[in-house]
Amino acid sequence: MPHLLNVNYLTQRLFIAILTCCTLFSCSEKKQATEQQTKDSQKIAVLLVNHGSHSPTWRKALTDLDSTVRGTILKDKRISDVKTAFMEYTEPSIATRMKQFDSAGYTDVIIVPIFLTVSSHSFDDIPTIIGTKEDPQSLETLKIEKIERYVAKAKTHITPLLDFTTILEQNILRRYQAISKNSKDEGLALIAYGDAGYNDEWSALMDSVGQHVIANTELTTYSYNWCGHIAHYNPDSTTIAINEVLQEKPSAVVMPVLVAHDEMFQVKIIGDGINAISDHSNKVIYRPDAILPDKNVEDWVISIVATHADHITSNRIM
Amino acid sequence: MKPSLKKKLRKFNIVTHRDVGYFFSTLIIIYCLSGFALNHVDDWNPDFIITKTDVEIPSSFPFENPSPSHINSLSTIVGESNYRVYDKPTPDQVKVYYKNATLHIHKKSLSGTYEQVKRRPIFYEANVLHRNSLAGWKWVSDIFAFFLIVISITGLFVLKGKKGFRKRGVWFMLAGALLPVIAWLIFGLK
Repeated sequence: MPHLLNVNYLTQRLFIAILTCCTLFSCSEKKQATEQQTKDSQKIAVLLVNHGSHSPTWRKALTDLDSTVRGTILKDKRISDVKTAFMEYTEPSIATRMKQFDSAGYTDVIIVPIFLTVSSHSFDDIPTIIGTKEDPQSLETLKIEKIERYVAKAKTHITPLLDFTTILEQNILRRYQAISKNSKDEGLALIAYGDAGYNDEWSALMDSVGQHVIANTELTTYSYNWCGHIAHYNPDSTTIAINEVLQEKPSAVVMPVLVAHDEMFQVKIIGDGINAISDHSNKVIYRPDAILPDKNVEDWVISIVATHADHITSNRIM
Repeated sequence: MKPSLKKKLRKFNIVTHRDVGYFFSTLIIIYCLSGFALNHVDDWNPDFIITKTDVEIPSSFPFENPSPSHINSLSTIVGESNYRVYDKPTPDQVKVYYKNATLHIHKKSLSGTYEQVKRRPIFYEANVLHRNSLAGWKWVSDIFAFFLIVISITGLFVLKGKKGFRKRGVWFMLAGALLPVIAWLIFGLK
């Protein structure tokens, strides 16, 4: 205690306390300045990525989605651009778009895959194209399919897929109700793209959709099958799914669970599958439509982008 | 036509058929091999040999949140020492990426598939050309297609006399033409 009364000692302690306060204040100011600087230098863009198709109708549905969500997304001052890229077949490809973002100096790109559920495209191909993964099979396939790989300078953030929500269930229910004539006498045949590597996940998604329609209508039976690569793009799988429900009900409602309308799928593959059913004009109800356009999908894109923008900005600040 | 001009034309035809045939013989064989491969694309992978091996996963493996050391010890099961990256396609699955292979494991079955990818020799290279996977190759391919027509037409007039086109060849040509005609008829009747 006596040393507390020592003037020199007190002066020394006071000096240390002031120095500490100054240092802390200066650090905090410095941190705030750095945060502000990071925030200012941060430039975020959004890339809506879809599978791509030779069909202009298919591509238009995706560019329409871009046009619809663009205005709302850009109201968020953190985001400066929204673009669409096609993974396969046509330009602008993912690599083309990422190069554009890099040359425009974007630091972060939020990639929104417009895909229904997990597949080799969403899980392996897209990350391999942007250089965050090196899946050996994807690497080889990209090369022979002339899909350019580009490792972007900007940090990429891939959002979850559509199946993380109940959008698909609502979409199919709405489309089913629009064409259904009498639920009691109908069975629902869902035709989706499918994926050999994630068959369980695709099946679970179809079950969830089918159950949702059953729970909200008088429908009691549904079936599903694939029309994509897993089914060798063969109409027979569609016919099998339709026959399955026709064994229990007098008529079948065929529903394409596909993102957009592609003549090869909705007309050729599914159409030929329906044509193989005897008396199909009386037994089968079919509208070659697609998931898009859907207000819920648009809202989901806007909301998932905002969530990721929050995440990016808060991560940078922290 | 003057006999001398006829003779010259005949010689030109034979020489063209012979030399263009020699020149494109390699490409013809490559395209035929690739044709076989791509014709049966639904039955096999014409480009890659994909070897799949089933593996059992220890029940202690933490699927929810595996660490790099967990992935390293998992990799030893399939004889891999260096993984490149790992990721979770679903909450109960993990996929590990190696240089030329992947290991995809499932919590539900406590099993996984180790998949090695290798290019299918000869066919891979042939398919690269046949599918125009190389930028600009389509022009070579167009020229090749044009000269295949030249080889076919000049081939009709190589021989003369009893076994020439007028006496014998025309019947074989018509018989061959029946194949597409029958195919079109079948397709039209369907």
